[in-house]
Amino acid sequence: MKVKFFAHYREYTGTKEIDVKNCKTVGELLKKLSEIYGEKLSKEFFDGEGLSSRVIVLVNGRNIVHLSNLNTPLKDEDEISLFPVVAGGL
Amino acid sequence: MNPAPEKNLYKGGVAGVRGTWRPAVVMRKILMISPEKCTGCRTCELACSFVKTEVFNPKVSRITVFAFDEAAVSVPMTCMQCDTPYCMKVCPTSAISKTEDGVVKVNGEKCIGCKLCIAACPLGNITLSTVEGKIVKCDLCGGEPKCVEFCPTGAIEFKEVSPNVLERKKAIARKFKELLGEAKE
Amino acid sequence: MFGWTGKIIRVNLTEGSIKVENLKIKDAYEYLGGRGLGVKILFDEVDPKVDPLSPENKLIFMTGPLTGTLAPCSGRYEVVAKAPLTGTVGGANSGGHFGPELKFAGYDGIIFEGKAEKPVYLWINDDKIELRSAKHLWGKNVFDTTDELLKETSEDARVACIGPGGEKMVLFATVMNDKHRAAGRSGMGAVMGSKNLKAVVVRGTGSIKVKDPNTFMNAVKEAYKKLKEQPVTSAGLTTYGTAILINILNQVGSLPTRNWRDGGYFEYAEEISGEALREKYLVKNKACFGCPIACGRVTRIPEGKFKGFGEGPEYEAAWALGADCGVRDLAAVTKANFICNELGIDPITMGATIACVMEMYEKGIISKEEIGFEAPFGSADALVELTRMAGLREGFGDKLALGSYRLAELYGYPELSMSVKKQEMPAYDGRGVQGMGLEYATSNRGGCHVRGYMTSVEVLGIPVKLDPLVTTDKAKWLKAFQDATAVVDSSNICLFTTFAIGVPDINAMMKGLVGWDYTDEDVLKIGERIWNLERLFNLNAGITKDDDTLPPRLLTEPLKVGPAKGKVVELDTMLKEYYEVRGWDEEGIPTEEKLKELGIE
Repeated sequence: MKVKFFAHYREYTGTKEIDVKNCKTVGELLKKLSEIYGEKLSKEFFDGEGLSSRVIVLVNGRNIVHLSNLNTPLKDEDEISLFPVVAGGL
Repeated sequence: MNPAPEKNLYKGGVAGVRGTWRPAVVMRKILMISPEKCTGCRTCELACSFVKTEVFNPKVSRITVFAFDEAAVSVPMTCMQCDTPYCMKVCPTSAISKTEDGVVKVNGEKCIGCKLCIAACPLGNITLSTVEGKIVKCDLCGGEPKCVEFCPTGAIEFKEVSPNVLERKKAIARKFKELLGEAKE
Repeated sequence: MFGWTGKIIRVNLTEGSIKVENLKIKDAYEYLGGRGLGVKILFDEVDPKVDPLSPENKLIFMTGPLTGTLAPCSGRYEVVAKAPLTGTVGGANSGGHFGPELKFAGYDGIIFEGKAEKPVYLWINDDKIELRSAKHLWGKNVFDTTDELLKETSEDARVACIGPGGEKMVLFATVMNDKHRAAGRSGMGAVMGSKNLKAVVVRGTGSIKVKDPNTFMNAVKEAYKKLKEQPVTSAGLTTYGTAILINILNQVGSLPTRNWRDGGYFEYAEEISGEALREKYLVKNKACFGCPIACGRVTRIPEGKFKGFGEGPEYEAAWALGADCGVRDLAAVTKANFICNELGIDPITMGATIACVMEMYEKGIISKEEIGFEAPFGSADALVELTRMAGLREGFGDKLALGSYRLAELYGYPELSMSVKKQEMPAYDGRGVQGMGLEYATSNRGGCHVRGYMTSVEVLGIPVKLDPLVTTDKAKWLKAFQDATAVVDSSNICLFTTFAIGVPDINAMMKGLVGWDYTDEDVLKIGERIWNLERLFNLNAGITKDDDTLPPRLLTEPLKVGPAKGKVVELDTMLKEYYEVRGWDEEGIPTEEKLKELGIE
């Protein structure tokens, strides 16, 4: 599945997107990413065991908060976008 | 070599090795300005005018921000608490003095409002406040400068001289680390 | 007086007379200032049926009680008039340093009436106010005008002016202050131009007083603390500016593309994103008066045909000039935004109007001969040239200057204008973000996003996370946003503070500033009062329930790709609920009861 990084996540990871395999849920994926990229990223994703309020996780454009949160299931064709909560528009 | 100090800029001196004389630098905090961090918000002007006069009026602020838009640069300017204060030298009633903490202070009671200090300051940082009816300049708020407290970017800091310079050195050195280093954090 | 200065300048441009009046205290307490007070004066003094570009319209500049104080982001003021673009109540908010300077000079606001015989500008130097000839400035762009005026008045003065756009009454002309800050939407610059008023220059050496300094400072420190702890206000906006939203909206499938024809996904969004801007053209970030967020972008295109220096683009401008026109060239988008600032026109309406033209061009409705060159979607050159032509009303630009609705109507295709009440909708596709669809349909100044920013809850999840694809609860949340925004626009601190603070924090500051004893509900009610007064003005101007609608594309053409695929805006459900929640009848008219509750006659 394709994982896209935005805003300062790109600086933390050094990349705009990567391909990840074998993650059955969003929670698993975020844990795997934390393993690859370290504490800086895991601090953004997790507040203890739960999803932090500092990140927006989209699966195929849908916020996981309106799906099943960290338990949202993933398929190989899915596209996951990760944003820090950074903005407002004018 | 025996370096003879030309100006006794600092309080006292220290006897060095084999009879040499070294001036002792008194380590004290000053307002460190980093214009590259300044966003031109002028919150410092508001905080200063408020803490001194309880109203909002940038014209009575002791600190002023100058914005040079074409160069995308803005610079907060305030009294630098000179080591050789010209304002102090020129004052006919000795109303201006340099305190233990290094603050150049105006004694309102001795001041006769001749305004020679305004003419003398080469940096333009002492002035007559028409709102307060007296000579005003930055007095570091008695050790807790309000402008520093409110500055959102740290463009104004209250610290001892060397560490800030060291930070700048380190910031440049870090660029080499990125250039030459192999390991990622 | 505390907070407010208590004085308003009234200029009759026909007679050339200047009066200083007292602020009506009752109005100040009921409508606060800024947008609210401006609207109240408009309501009391201007016939809603008046032609917006006639001398009978009034142009009102109004600051708020918090403007110029240590409240965070206190650099704002509002420009109010009947809007030429929409025929509704109009208004636009702007930052920079002009608003505070007006208060330091000793005035809460200025009311301009009538029309000057020849171009003039108003020079306010504390208590010395005079009208001066602006003949030598007429025709100059915003930057040159500002420089000239500072030379002939005072280097430390602040300038609000119009460019050629306002002079030529482009219907979406802006009032620009401090060169790059815009009172942008609904055509306030055109009203100014119609009065032969080129600029307002102000210099102030006075003070804004505080009733209870301790209470005020405690409230202010709390507010600053919250702003520092919130990631949007402390890091996000500072680092990336508002254009960071390009990628976010694109990923949720709601970035309107090619005049809203190609669903909510722009394949080149990355190239016009906030990340790209930061990488390529950002020189530095910049702050307005008293602002710790500093979201302003100082930008430079160093070389090439789009070479230039200025500020922006913001999210909405980058979208309108970029994705909406199918243009992927960030340099072109940035250049077009510079031109908008220079000439004094609204980049949102500009981009959306060009997008409309591009669609009509591709459909063969407008010919190459008429425009003068090819203008398909994606053409960077067409984007920049059309922007310039519109601001100067040159050639085909004369039609562009009408905005997309009147232009499309000329050719018999008004449905291709993506607008509501003739003002173009900004950068959130209502089909993918249902609450925004409702905001566009119901906003008092037409297609507006900012006065009821549902994106906050539906996309960013601040303060709560609502599902953008459903209609549940949207009406009640929208009312809350609209009312709260009216309060912020009237106290006149920047709307961006609301990512971290809200009406209770504003109330706490006001308590210290002016010493009132309102509850938070009372303050929110001020917002509701302002909203209803705007609605009354609109109804009297001829707006009806039929105008609370959306272009057919949003109601009947489902999105083709993305998470909102297959969706249209379910307006009927939401609108019915909205009227109920507002306490209006089925025609969208505030009931007697509601008006009585709010104290409006």
